[in-house]
Amino acid sequence: MKTDAQIVSVNPGQHAVSVQGVTFTYHGADRPALRAVSFAQNAGEMIGVMGASGAGKSTLAKCLNRIVPEFEDGDFHGAIRIAGEPLEHLRVCDVAPKVGMVFQDFESQLFSTNVEHEVAFAMEQVGIERAEMDRRILPALEAVGLRGFAHRDPMSLSGGEKQRLAIASVLALRPSVIVLDEPTTDLDPEGRAEVFELIKKLRAQGLSLIVIEHESEELRAADRIMVLREGEIAADGPPAEVFARTELLTACGVRPPGLGHAFELLGIDAQPKSVDQAYEAIARAYPGAAGTTYDSIARSRASEEPKAAANAIIGPAFIGIENLSFNYVGGPRVLDSIDLKVDAGEFLAIVGQNGSGKTTLAKHIVGLLQPATGRVTIDGKDRAQMRPAETAREVAYVFQNPDHQIFAATVEDEVAFGPRNFGLPDDEIRRRCDEALEAVGLQNERQSDPFLLSKGERQRLAVASVLVLRPRMLILDEPTTGLDHREQLRMMALVRDLNRAGIAIVIITHTPWLVAEYARRVVLMRKGAKIFDGGVREFFMQDELLRSSSFRAPEITELSRRFGTLALTTDEFVGWVKGRA
Amino acid sequence: MPIYLYIDRGTFVHRLHPTVKVFSLFVMFWSVYWVDNPIALLIPIGLIMLWIAQLTDSWPNFYRLRWLFVILIFTTTLMWMVFYQRGTPLFKMTLLHWDGHTVAIDVTWLSIKFGIGRGIKLAELLAASVLFLSTTKIEEFTYGLQRMRVPYRVSFAISLSFRLVPLFIDSAVTIVDAQRLRGYDFNQGGPLERVRRYVPVVIPVFMGALRKANNMAMALEARGFGFSHEPTTFIEYPVTAADIMAFAFLIALGTLYFMLYWTGLGGIGPMK
Repeated sequence: MKTDAQIVSVNPGQHAVSVQGVTFTYHGADRPALRAVSFAQNAGEMIGVMGASGAGKSTLAKCLNRIVPEFEDGDFHGAIRIAGEPLEHLRVCDVAPKVGMVFQDFESQLFSTNVEHEVAFAMEQVGIERAEMDRRILPALEAVGLRGFAHRDPMSLSGGEKQRLAIASVLALRPSVIVLDEPTTDLDPEGRAEVFELIKKLRAQGLSLIVIEHESEELRAADRIMVLREGEIAADGPPAEVFARTELLTACGVRPPGLGHAFELLGIDAQPKSVDQAYEAIARAYPGAAGTTYDSIARSRASEEPKAAANAIIGPAFIGIENLSFNYVGGPRVLDSIDLKVDAGEFLAIVGQNGSGKTTLAKHIVGLLQPATGRVTIDGKDRAQMRPAETAREVAYVFQNPDHQIFAATVEDEVAFGPRNFGLPDDEIRRRCDEALEAVGLQNERQSDPFLLSKGERQRLAVASVLVLRPRMLILDEPTTGLDHREQLRMMALVRDLNRAGIAIVIITHTPWLVAEYARRVVLMRKGAKIFDGGVREFFMQDELLRSSSFRAPEITELSRRFGTLALTTDEFVGWVKGRA
Repeated sequence: MPIYLYIDRGTFVHRLHPTVKVFSLFVMFWSVYWVDNPIALLIPIGLIMLWIAQLTDSWPNFYRLRWLFVILIFTTTLMWMVFYQRGTPLFKMTLLHWDGHTVAIDVTWLSIKFGIGRGIKLAELLAASVLFLSTTKIEEFTYGLQRMRVPYRVSFAISLSFRLVPLFIDSAVTIVDAQRLRGYDFNQGGPLERVRRYVPVVIPVFMGALRKANNMAMALEARGFGFSHEPTTFIEYPVTAADIMAFAFLIALGTLYFMLYWTGLGGIGPMK
């Protein structure tokens, strides 16, 4: 593995990117966001950058095109060269033709009303002549698979298409390096797959890429993985070496790839690059585990799990949805004849591509939308007869973005807002606030300004602010989006505890491992229809359904299927292998 | 549901040169500004707007904003009938009856005419904007302003702000939903109290807007915005005979309305 010293010693002029001794402290911050960071990137190399929130990943990315320190104020030291050219004294816009930058928020980086104009936008800014723009637009759109989209409105594209368009507009400038800062965080599985497919293609074409990403599986194809911790490089080397250091990864807030973690627990000294490789290595080390490749055991395990499907529930469920259909005025059907029952205390995951109707369905449960046909009942009562405020005491809804509800000056006031609206006495409000803050682990932040909390803390605050109403069901829309692995685990531990305390949980998610590890029942939506409703193991047995919905089982589940079993977690799989040995 | 107003059609209005489109917006505002008489506000400019809406297939946008039009016309007409106390009273309208006291106003023919005129005027200002945004792309707006000697940075910022408004409205709707689900009732109390009750919406919208603006500014600079004071343009807009004719027509329309004001024909009649 390379060390910092070895990297610094190479001649900066020979590299696509050379970063030497970069330290940056944001204005007003008490500690540096980056501390003496040094590395060099060879031309055509792909570096994956990982780390917890606040580790310095985005700051590093912004240094590469001078957003730091030109746009973000602070104290900057060190030197950065792109293809041998020093960046100091350059403005952000001067660096644009050299370093292309793609951001997480795809809506904020599209400025035009037409795909073709969007690709031309950056070229207009740097003064490229029209004839040259004409020559570059089509190849850029072809490179990202958007040929034929030239006259579409960017806002009509899917998330994945929007992000690919942002990459096309960067490609048209023909930069020597492209930096992608968490480009798939806000995308559904299909969008993620599209963007990572494109990244592979760009890499094959010899572009130098720096990709910031939370999911380690996606970065296995990189040449190098760089892990940042508190502004410093904690590890830098080939994926096989870095991903083998599971303890370090966990300490840095990075989720180790499930396969690598399984190898470590099984005592196999290797790093698998794929499920196929992992199967062969485990079969060699544990021949007893590889007796059958038929899914009979998996099928029998799936049939053993408690049936939670709609038809299996006898008697009135806590939530009852009958023949629910919905469309916006003048628009197509968004929900089509949905029947669903959710029992008290269940843990249900609703999955499906963007636009499949997941959130619309949830909004019907809490009363934000009224069905065109059909009805929703809560504990036997017709929801149409209940006001949203009444529903809130039965079913609480946590929006994807916690910033859509935070407004108070202190954490305590934010949590007390709900009970105050219901006119509860002060001592009761205080008691409930204590209870809710304790549950989400924010009891020591009572007087803190909510806007200064981390994203994970703000997400937990959003949960506390509806939990305080003591609902019997909690619906969480993408509760882990934008959180690092440590924050994700903390959030999901909270959700699991609430479920154990008797609160029914419905999560809307795109994250396979989250479904595998936490949910007990899955509903899969497609084009407004419910196309699967059953147990988690049964769900991950539906190869065709998963493929057609662009929803992949976690790698460890895929691997276990190769052995004829069905494990939802690494521990479960390792236990099974050891048991067979 | 689309959040932008632009409707992609190939009508001659859509194909007009951006400078002519920006100028037409100016002339619409100019013409409506000079007159108060409801008849003058409807003929010819109101009819022209109706014709353009039909021609450009902009009705879906008017339908989306129908309540805004209704509220604007209704409240403005009513408000000016109350405050424009001129002319011979036709009848007395009781506004408030409280503790033996009565607050009443004289309704005059002039106040009715003036109120209706103001309602139509505001609706036409909104309609002109809707027609402009239904037929003009953001790039054309920027280009049109630039050709009218507005600096690139300023013209881009103005056109971008149009793009941002629907995003903020979208975010405000989500925030209202989030607060309603925490038991918040926006409809309690009198008018002032109701305005005050929107604080839990205004703060998240404002914070979100700041964050969005910051992200956009970074993305803009990363795309080379500011590299040159005179960026090149991808789209070319040749001036056609239709542009010259439309320009001449707009000059005539603007002049007509100024003459209506100058001669007093655009007013609401003698005041007593």
